[in-house]
Amino acid sequence: MASTACFIIVSRNDIPIYEAEVGSAAKREDAAQLHQFVLHAALDIVQDLAWTTSAMFLKAIDRFNDLVVSVYVTAEVCMYLIFTCRMACLNWKQLLILLNPLYLPGSRVTSSHFDTKVRALARKYL
Amino acid sequence: MADPANTPLGQMLLDEITPVVMVLGTPLVEEACLKNGINFVQMLSPFCAFNNIDVPVRTASDQPYRLQKFKLRLFYASDIRQPNLEVARERLKQLIIQAGEKDLSELSSDPPPTNYEHNGSESENLPSWFQFFNKELVRSASFSDHEAFDHPVACLLVVSSKDEQPINQFVDLFNNNKLPSLLNDGAMDPKILKHYLLVHDNQDGSTEKSARILTEMRSTFGSDCQLLCINSSEDGLVEHHDDPWALYKSDASPGQNVGCFLNVDDLNEMKDIMQDLSTKHIIPYMEQKIRVLNQQVSATRKGFRNQIKNLWWRKGKDEVADLSNGPMYTFSSIESQIRALGDYAFMLRDYELALSNYRLISTDYKLDKAWKRYAGVQEMTGLTYFMLDQSRKEAEYCMENAFNTYLKIGPSSQQNATRCGLWWVEMLKTRDQFKEAAMVYFRVCGEETLNSAVMLEQAAYCYLLSKPPMLHKYGFHLVLSGERYKKSDQIKHAIRTYKSAISVYKETRWSHIKDHVHFNIGQWYANLGRYDLAASHILEVLACSHQSKATQDIFLRHFLQIVQKTGKTFEVPKLQLPEINISFLKVIFEDHRTYASATAASVKESIWRSLEEDLVPSLSTARTNWLELHSRVLPTKYKESNVCVAGEAVRVDIEFKNPLQIPISVSGVSLICELFGSSDETKSDGNNLAGEFQNDDGSVETTSGEMSNKSSSFSLSKVDFSLEGGETIMVQLTVTPTIEGILQIIGVRWNLSGAVVGFHNFESNPIKKRSSEGRQRANRSGDNLKFVVIKSLPKVEGFIRPLPTSAYAGDVRQLVLELRNHSECAVKNLKMKVSHPRFLNIGSRESLNVEFPACLEKKRSEHNNVRHNPSNMSQPVFLFPEDTIIKGESPLLWPLWFRAAVPGNIFLYITIYYEIEDTSSAMRYRTLCMHYNLQVLPSLDISFQVSPCPSKLQEFLVQMDIINKTSTESFQVHQLSSVGEKWAISLRQPVNTDFPSQCLMAGQSLSCFFMLKDQRRSGTSEDKTSLSQQVGSVVGLGPQGTIESLFDTSSSPLADFHSRERMLEESSHQSDSTVDFILISRPLKSDPDSVLDVDIFSLLGCSIASTSPISWHVDGPRTLYHNFSSSFCEIRLSMTIYNSSNSIASVRINTVDSSGNLSESTSPQSATSSGNQVGWHDVSLVTDIKVTSDVLGTRSIKPPSLDSVSSFVWSAASSTRVQIKPMSMAKIPLQICAFSPGTYDLSNYMLHWNLLLPDGEVNLDEGTRQSAGTCQGYPYYLTVLQST
Repeated sequence: MASTACFIIVSRNDIPIYEAEVGSAAKREDAAQLHQFVLHAALDIVQDLAWTTSAMFLKAIDRFNDLVVSVYVTAEVCMYLIFTCRMACLNWKQLLILLNPLYLPGSRVTSSHFDTKVRALARKYL
Repeated sequence: MADPANTPLGQMLLDEITPVVMVLGTPLVEEACLKNGINFVQMLSPFCAFNNIDVPVRTASDQPYRLQKFKLRLFYASDIRQPNLEVARERLKQLIIQAGEKDLSELSSDPPPTNYEHNGSESENLPSWFQFFNKELVRSASFSDHEAFDHPVACLLVVSSKDEQPINQFVDLFNNNKLPSLLNDGAMDPKILKHYLLVHDNQDGSTEKSARILTEMRSTFGSDCQLLCINSSEDGLVEHHDDPWALYKSDASPGQNVGCFLNVDDLNEMKDIMQDLSTKHIIPYMEQKIRVLNQQVSATRKGFRNQIKNLWWRKGKDEVADLSNGPMYTFSSIESQIRALGDYAFMLRDYELALSNYRLISTDYKLDKAWKRYAGVQEMTGLTYFMLDQSRKEAEYCMENAFNTYLKIGPSSQQNATRCGLWWVEMLKTRDQFKEAAMVYFRVCGEETLNSAVMLEQAAYCYLLSKPPMLHKYGFHLVLSGERYKKSDQIKHAIRTYKSAISVYKETRWSHIKDHVHFNIGQWYANLGRYDLAASHILEVLACSHQSKATQDIFLRHFLQIVQKTGKTFEVPKLQLPEINISFLKVIFEDHRTYASATAASVKESIWRSLEEDLVPSLSTARTNWLELHSRVLPTKYKESNVCVAGEAVRVDIEFKNPLQIPISVSGVSLICELFGSSDETKSDGNNLAGEFQNDDGSVETTSGEMSNKSSSFSLSKVDFSLEGGETIMVQLTVTPTIEGILQIIGVRWNLSGAVVGFHNFESNPIKKRSSEGRQRANRSGDNLKFVVIKSLPKVEGFIRPLPTSAYAGDVRQLVLELRNHSECAVKNLKMKVSHPRFLNIGSRESLNVEFPACLEKKRSEHNNVRHNPSNMSQPVFLFPEDTIIKGESPLLWPLWFRAAVPGNIFLYITIYYEIEDTSSAMRYRTLCMHYNLQVLPSLDISFQVSPCPSKLQEFLVQMDIINKTSTESFQVHQLSSVGEKWAISLRQPVNTDFPSQCLMAGQSLSCFFMLKDQRRSGTSEDKTSLSQQVGSVVGLGPQGTIESLFDTSSSPLADFHSRERMLEESSHQSDSTVDFILISRPLKSDPDSVLDVDIFSLLGCSIASTSPISWHVDGPRTLYHNFSSSFCEIRLSMTIYNSSNSIASVRINTVDSSGNLSESTSPQSATSSGNQVGWHDVSLVTDIKVTSDVLGTRSIKPPSLDSVSSFVWSAASSTRVQIKPMSMAKIPLQICAFSPGTYDLSNYMLHWNLLLPDGEVNLDEGTRQSAGTCQGYPYYLTVLQST
């Protein structure tokens, strides 16, 4: 499988607050929207599963063709949707954002620092 | 769960898995039938389904049961073969296209809002053609040789009575090669039930011939012969109210009246014949066949022995089987028989029997690796489980197994897989497992895009129907489906699916998804020529800042193309391009307060308010009496709204932002306003409210392009601009009402790229308003943009010229304030207040025309310069003279003096208050606010050091260090003045010696020394006469020529500025102990005439400010000759002590002959006593000392720490005490004896002083000063020489 991944943090009410397209695979024109579609569709499954299990990391809960969706659900009812399961280490980073008193729930994460960190991690694991 | 037979799947199975009757007919039969517009099979089909047949059936078991529903399927023998894939595909495509055409009418309108919360009836949402489509899809897999239920059970041989030799025809029909391959290649038993039917067309004559043929047939073929008479109606006008053929005549031409020659008798006959065929022939035949087969199966396969044998046999056979699709089974093989038994049992609803046989055979097929047959059996097992309504898990497992097996076989079984999948889906749907059903749908879709599009759409609906509805999945699958519809050129279907998906993604913030959906719909609509709809969809994606530049460009270009094709300007409320930052919306209007410039309007409200405090009459004072009040104050209902004046523009600042990376051009930006004339105003409140409602509707009207008659009541400004990618622009729009009334600003409109008109209404948004915040109570958002327009008023415009934008610190300039009033109505009672009086000094009218800086020069004669009036300073408000009136075209000019007091960015705020003479106007007064921003650069950095002169009591040495801090500017130091009568300053050295160039270049520094004399104090001393020679208190520093034209620092602007500075300092310092210097320099520029650099310094007199209130001075001879050979030398000295404190000081003088220890112990104290001017003494010491005797001089310079006894002693008492009154001095005689010639340092004495405070007085004001202390003596050098 081409090493591509899409990483999205979704806050309450299905609002994506952070998006990152990572990976070395040649970018398809419509990759971004396909990834969004797949991850968005996976939210249904997440919403079902999140209440039935105590686990925070839900591995490979949904798939579309070769895109496998894994989710990390946190207490803030925020979740990441990722195409690989090895990026769980991002957890604390997201917590950092949530701890930031200036963070408005639902607003986008625009910190470039966070972005570079995520991409660095992605490079490490992909 | 309900009876499985009543579920959709059950119905489907009861319809589809029924006995097949093969029809073989002669062409003449067809001819007779086609008179009715239908063929023979179609004619009979409606009568093949029996809902209440009530036939007893006895299969393998002895217990009979009754069948209620039964159905036969009639097929021509030519149709009993596997359908051609291409044909089937084409038929499906046609079906879809038809459905698409049907939906087109609904396309233009929005789909009805789907209520996801309660979707009780599932069929409501589902397009109805799905069912037909699925049926067709299932049928495309029929007549496979691996399943027995599609194998004909009976054969219906039909011959017309017109046929020649009908008996031979019957025989020929079955014997020729037209039989389906199923019978020919041995997949099924060719010995099937035959039924002979003679069709007689009543129009061709009587039935006698037919009856004869029938008897002949009966004798030949037995009892299975019947006669069917059709076309009994003579005229062919029979109308069938409930058309029985509606479901079956797919290819009949619509115009023809189907069954027009068939009357009721014909229909009844057909019904009877078919029922007879079913009950008397087919069912008994099937019963019998089941029994026969069952016996055979029992004999060969049932029982332990048979099982073992079978297993053994299979094992042995295993090696032989090498066919890819498993071994070929003929109808006579036991496997085929078991399968047939199962299918027959299934068709006769003996599901238990069917299931047992299916299970039996499935292991065999598996062992034989006959995968297709295995899958088929698994499929049937699953369905049988379902019909038995037991073991759901088993049923699903079987279906899945079958499905997977079919898929595994490859593309040849794709049709079977699809059929199996559809049945599986139905099974899951029946059990409300919609989620799983959707997944199966998803798996069903194969390579074929069109089919998979339909499958995906059905999957989407399954997600919608699942509980809770999975909307995300629903949307996603709709989009997937739409994508495939598009690929197979079914644009209408694509639009339909996408439009349904929009309802899911309506509020989403998943930007890429939204863009994709809207952009595609837009494009497809454009393909269909529905440009208006297309434009409205693409509009949604225009503000796509997250997309790449290329994508943004594509979006915008498409949009503009589509809009062009619509051929009209497109009007869009809330157009997202460019973005309007509504929180930055500012409304600037002028009511009481008017602004001289745009920058003044943006100044914080509180600044103006604080400036206006003293100017504007407060409400209570403004009210002269209550009668007058009523006439002036606006009608109470408008109290909440803002006031603006007719003829004066209301300005709205709007921030436009281009969210894209590509440039966009915006033109014709203007406000949308409404103005109700004052005639409306007189109406009652109720009418006014109605008028407001009209506003909302009217806004559309106003935006529709022309301003009609409204243009007369106000005028709008239009702005064009273009925005680069990501650029933000602040646009100032104005509306100028021309008549009185109520002005409402509704919104803003603009034209994007000349194609789209966007408008944005402000009303719904809370607006931050600059000028009215705080001034009004309880601002409702709706009223923010509502103005009461009042009659035009005089408005004073003012500006200051030529106020520089940047100046060097200390620059003094002459400025003129110009006030104009264009209206004929005069204004009076002008007042003015300046935020920084340090910087701006209001001159007097006389100084308007004086020449600067010459006016400041000292006049020899009585100078008529305006004397500085200190009382002016205390007044914060400047009142213009009473008679000042501004009216018409004559401006009021008033001089101002400007001085850049401190470096930095300075914001100057000036408020001018004026009253309107015309008392009938709605406002009595207005204020003019002016705002200037200027930058003051540092220029000369000047520091002073003042130290008391050790040798003179009332004199101070002043060291002035000037550094030119500018980078380019050169300054010429002109003069230094000390302010006030008290101080006199004189140059210690001629300037020219240390300052030859007379000009201070950039970065250069200069030090000068001055002598400062306290004139007041010295007034008591004896040398009063010498002071009169001082040049006042000014020292010229410039070149010789300019020394004559010294400036008078006591004249108006300079003195005013000085006193401003003094006021600033006063809080922290005692005025008595300070000396103020004014340094005047001129920049060496090409036009130095207008600028003067004045630095005002306020410094403490050192001696006074030091910690000790006691100062003293030793007088005596400096050099004397004495003949030491005769006697020692007695020298008299006198010490003058001055008490500068306010209380009596007691001073004790201790003389110490041995100075060694003393100096060490007192050295820290001496440091404190000399205050902040440390080190000055030493410098002067070094420069002043004159060693006349080498031998002794070296000795005397030696530090006194040497243990030697000094060569002089203080004679007289070693301690003297005096009391000195405040501010007075006392003289004390001193005497020393010297024993040898030499130079003596007479500093080895101490002064102990003690302030005697009056009883009870608390020393408050001089808290920092000590009340007692000790001072080390000053060095005093005395040279005694041996006289000759």
